[in-house]
Amino acid sequence: MLDSVREIETPEGISLRLRAAGPLPRAQAWMVDTVVRLVLLMLAMIPLSLFGTGGLGLAMLAMFALLWAYWVACELWLDGQSLGKRALGLRVVNLDGTPVTWLPSVTRNLLRVVDALPGVYGVGLASTLVDPCARRLGDIVAGTMVVHTKETATGHQVPPAPALPLPLPLSPEEQAALVDFAERAGQLTVQRQEELANLLEPLTGCRDTAGVARLLGYANGLLGRP
Amino acid sequence: MKQERFVALHAREWDSLQAWLGELDRQPKRALRHELALEFPAAYRRVCHHLALARGRGYSHEVTDRLQSLVQRGHRVLYRPPPPRWHRAAAFLVADFPRLVRAQWRCMALAAALFYVPALALLVWLQLHPEFAHTLFSSARLAQFERMYDPANPQLGRSSGTNLQMFGYYVFNNVSIAFRTFASGLLFGVGAIYVLGANGIVIGGVAGHLEAIGYGGPFWRFVATHSAFELTAMVIAGGAGLQLGLTLLAPGRRRRGPALVEAGWIGAKLALGAFAMLVVAACIEAYWSSQAGLPDALRFGVAALVWLLVLVWLGFGGRAGRHGA
Repeated sequence: MLDSVREIETPEGISLRLRAAGPLPRAQAWMVDTVVRLVLLMLAMIPLSLFGTGGLGLAMLAMFALLWAYWVACELWLDGQSLGKRALGLRVVNLDGTPVTWLPSVTRNLLRVVDALPGVYGVGLASTLVDPCARRLGDIVAGTMVVHTKETATGHQVPPAPALPLPLPLSPEEQAALVDFAERAGQLTVQRQEELANLLEPLTGCRDTAGVARLLGYANGLLGRP
Repeated sequence: MKQERFVALHAREWDSLQAWLGELDRQPKRALRHELALEFPAAYRRVCHHLALARGRGYSHEVTDRLQSLVQRGHRVLYRPPPPRWHRAAAFLVADFPRLVRAQWRCMALAAALFYVPALALLVWLQLHPEFAHTLFSSARLAQFERMYDPANPQLGRSSGTNLQMFGYYVFNNVSIAFRTFASGLLFGVGAIYVLGANGIVIGGVAGHLEAIGYGGPFWRFVATHSAFELTAMVIAGGAGLQLGLTLLAPGRRRRGPALVEAGWIGAKLALGAFAMLVVAACIEAYWSSQAGLPDALRFGVAALVWLLVLVWLGFGGRAGRHGA
């Protein structure tokens, strides 16, 4: 439930990892969108005021477009991102991870009415908190979800060191743990590195700085560096 | 194979794919003319293969994360929807939409009953008991209705405003109501039932009251034509909402989730059709219905024609002809 990553198997036989966006960034994106739409409406009103009462009718049409068509147009032409979502790094995708198509987009934006119901998005908030993919009701009915587009910080590089052969054969999980330690070593304090390395004294046969250096050497060897 | 050797073998291919995807974001036209555009599906599948290998062999995050993000971007490009084709919109309005309405005829009939039964009942009731109108509406609203349809009013059906202004108002107001009617159907159908019934009561009440006080002439002359599109679109939007609510309550022999998604898509199509109908209705209402100088024969003749057109369109549009589809 806490893990918002959703794995989706693609036809290529691998899994995509989509990180569902929770209510907070979505509310922020909605606020950006609301401001953008208000500014657009005001900008449209300036030339329309020249037309007198007829301009009022055109202003109504502009309001209609901003209220209903804005979302669908943005999602179709801006790659599943309204301007607010783009600013916050969110994107609407179909449940299978493909870019959103027009019918789900229309559905989810028509049903926005229900999500917005008591006060400001009360139903939507409840729904995003309950659903494991943080979908609002409109998303559930349309078969869409909102995901983060920004990648999380990728793993750091293993610091280069002269490779050392492993003193005894290790299982794949143990090898992966060694490489993970080496990748994260740069983010840890020296004391913590040594503390962790000391746990592996039976493997390395030394403590503290020498132990850390040995572990880095094993990791380099596992990666196939000279 | 050790990770370093794997990276050394394939890094150039990953880099070129990444560069092409980056260019596609910045200058799509130029990127699509590039020779890599033809290569792309094969290159993407090779990278998928590399990712599967890297995961299977337990390579470090440095490699798997890089491939993962590359695959994610490639997936978005390879599986993007085709650009919308506008002739599909025409085909939808002529054939698919009427077919969809007929396929959902039970919900449509229910919606029509929910709307027309209270409307007609009130229309008749108010002829027998005219004072009942004061129970339904406040005096201010009754006065407003009477002003709009006063036989002495030079413009039919409105107290002020130009054609364009009223067109914008009708589109904004009516389409918003139709969309809300559909969406509120998700609340177990209650919203749609309420909107349909309430509209039936208001419209029946207004018609009955105006008929009873002798203002019926201008009222019927005003509403006769555009009501064909407007009322039918309202019933369809309500039926779409009912369909959604009923699917939520009783999905039948399907799981509730997939059944809801399907019902949502059907409802969205119906709502889009209702939107088109309401735009037509707003045109007629703003530019034709409000003309006071037209002779009655022409006005009611056109109204009958439009009603016939709507019913034939919804009843027979998209039906396979004698030669079959």
